[in-house]
Amino acid sequence: MKRRLLIFLSIFVLAASISARAETDAEVEARKAALDLAGAFSNEGFKIRDGHWCGTVKQNDHALVAVNLYAGNQYWFSAGATEPAKKIAVSVYDETGKQVTTEDYNAGEKAAAGFSPTNSGQYFVSVDLVEGQAGSFCLIYSYK
Amino acid sequence: MIRLTRLGAIGLIGGILAAVGAETGRLPADQLAKAVRSDSISIPTPGELFAALEKPGKTDWSGQYRGPIPITYRNRAQIALNLGGLIADGFIAVEAKDSQQVKNIGSDIIKLAKALGVSENLLSRGNSINEFAENNEWDTLQEELEATQNEVKSSMQSHSDQDLVILVSLGGWIRGTQVVSGAIMQNYDARSAKVLRQPALVKFMQSKINEISPELRGEPLVKDVNEQLAGIEKLVSFPADKTPSVDEVRKVNKAVDKVMEEIENKAVAR
Repeated sequence: MKRRLLIFLSIFVLAASISARAETDAEVEARKAALDLAGAFSNEGFKIRDGHWCGTVKQNDHALVAVNLYAGNQYWFSAGATEPAKKIAVSVYDETGKQVTTEDYNAGEKAAAGFSPTNSGQYFVSVDLVEGQAGSFCLIYSYK
Repeated sequence: MIRLTRLGAIGLIGGILAAVGAETGRLPADQLAKAVRSDSISIPTPGELFAALEKPGKTDWSGQYRGPIPITYRNRAQIALNLGGLIADGFIAVEAKDSQQVKNIGSDIIKLAKALGVSENLLSRGNSINEFAENNEWDTLQEELEATQNEVKSSMQSHSDQDLVILVSLGGWIRGTQVVSGAIMQNYDARSAKVLRQPALVKFMQSKINEISPELRGEPLVKDVNEQLAGIEKLVSFPADKTPSVDEVRKVNKAVDKVMEEIENKAVAR
C-alpha cells in the first residue's frame, strides 16, 4: 500500500519538478498507465526504476531506447500510451539488433515485455504503434 | 521465468497473454545508432548491478563497506562524483539490511548534496530514508535511494549544474563496479563475473563527459577520471558470450580501485 502510494506520489512530484524537457499532460497520463502496469510486477518482487522515457509513438516507426542490462536479472519493460494510440507493443533487441524472445503482455494502450538476459550489455527496447494514430507514450522498467 | 498470472488477479483482465514474443526481426545498425540514450533510463542503478551479483549465491554485503569518506570536499565535480559513490554505498547497506548504516549514509548524502546547494527538497528524502530504515522496508529504501539521486540530478539541472549530473551517475557506477569486482574476486563465480561486461555503458558515460563544458572537463580530477575510463572501457569489453576469468576481474577491480581512490582523495582546488 505504502509502495503504491509512493509510486503515485512520485508521479506528481516528478511531473511538478523541473526537468530538461517538461512533460506534457498526455505523457504524464501515459506514465501513470505504465506505472499501473509495472505495479503489477512489483507484486512479484520487481523493483520499479524511477527513471522513465516518454515520447510519441507513430505508425511504421520504432520508438527506440538503449538500456544496459545485467545477466542474471529479470526485467519487465512496461509502456503506457494515450489516445489516439489504441494499441502498442513492446519488444527487445540485443546489441546487434536481433530481436530477443520475450514474455509479452498486451492490453490496448498498455503493453509490457519480460526478458532475462543471459549476457550483460546493451539492449534496445522498442515501443511500437499497432493500432490507432500517433500518441504519447511512456516507458519504465522494473527488475529483480 | 516470470509469472504473469497475478496481472489478471489485480484487475488487468482482458489482456492478451502470450508466452513468447511475436515474429523475431532485426533492426539495422543505423536505426540502433539513433536510439535514445538518456541518463535516467540507459544507466542502470547500483541496485540493479547488486541484484545481479547476488543471483548465484549469498554475498557478504557488510564486508563491502568502506570507511567514512571526507564530506568536506570543496570542488563541485569531486562532490558530484562522491555523491554518486555514496548513493552506491546506500544500496550496499540496503543489501546488507543494515539500518544504522543506511541512516549514516543517508545523512552523508544530504550533507554532500547541501554542499552543492541542492538540498531544499532533500531534507524530506533524508527523513524518509531514516523512517524506511527503521522499519526495515528494504525494497522501498532502494526506490527511495534512486528517487533521491534523481531529485539531486533534477535540482542540478534547475540550478544550471546539468554538467554535474553525469558525474553523479559515473561515481555510482565506479563505486558499484569496485564493490562487485571485489566481491567476485573474493568468491569467484562465472555467472557473477558476467555482470562486468558493460562496454556500451562506459562508452555512453564517456560521450556524456565529452559533452560537458570544456572548463569542467579540463579540471584535473575530471580529466584524470575521463582518461582512465578509456582503459576501463577496454577492460569491460568482453565478447558477449565470454565469461571473464579471475585475472580479468582482478584487472577491472584494480582499474576502478585506482580511479575511486582519486575520486575520494585527490586534492583538488575549489
